[in-house]
Amino acid sequence: MEEEIRQNYTEAEKLQVFHDEFMPHINSMYNFAYRLTFDEDDANDLVQDTYLKAFRFIHSFEKGTNAKAWLFRILKNSFINDYRKKSKEPAKVDYQDVETYYNSDDVDRQITPDLRVESLQDMIGDEISNALNSLDVDFRTVIILCDLEGFKYEEMAKILDIPIGTVRSRLHRARNLLKEKLTDYAKQMGYKNT
Amino acid sequence: MPDSTTSPEGKKLSCIEMLQLMLEGDATLEQQQNFKAHLDECMPCYKSYNLEVTLKMLIKSKCNGNGAPPELVEKIKTQISQNMPH
Repeated sequence: MEEEIRQNYTEAEKLQVFHDEFMPHINSMYNFAYRLTFDEDDANDLVQDTYLKAFRFIHSFEKGTNAKAWLFRILKNSFINDYRKKSKEPAKVDYQDVETYYNSDDVDRQITPDLRVESLQDMIGDEISNALNSLDVDFRTVIILCDLEGFKYEEMAKILDIPIGTVRSRLHRARNLLKEKLTDYAKQMGYKNT
Repeated sequence: MPDSTTSPEGKKLSCIEMLQLMLEGDATLEQQQNFKAHLDECMPCYKSYNLEVTLKMLIKSKCNGNGAPPELVEKIKTQISQNMPH
């Protein structure tokens, strides 16, 4: 566990850190919150809670370090603790089962799905977004963090509290599931065109 | 003698491991050059790599959303300033 060094910010410095280092990430944070909850009100609440928490614990944030990863971690934890529990929808996936299964040889399987670059480029509507939203939350999350927000595996491991190897295997599986979904869409598009 | 297509442990990297290294953005310049050369002779890698890169680009351009509502931004700013001692 990393040792937390308490920062001694003046009130003015706190505000400066908040506005200069935290607020610039609000669009990414909102997008992440919306893709976790699929509800505008919940996304608003989640982002607001996250920013208030970040401000409350600003003394544990070291100025100039990775604010975005820190904020994403708080948001992810708030989502798990406050929102996922409230959700009426039962968890679709038994997490441990998924990890055990996908940490097996299956991970090394290289799927070359029947999906062409040209088909992807023809998806000019909401197909990509819908396919992403159709993934289970844990798979959706790694795609968002990596491909959309550009986090490194090491940062993702810290945000999600999982080992790097698990980040890698979960991402690999998530990409395969996304491609499978997009392959279905491509087939549907093909049927429409004939 | 390990080269850029081997792992630090000296194990030869498989196609999928090289592909992951490239997608992760952590490949060294030499590994990148070797991978690009490898693409000329490995059709499955060429197809997978192009597909993954295209997909990554599309996710980035299609899934960014509309940004946070301005009201939310204002609300947070107001709450923070109210939390400050006066």
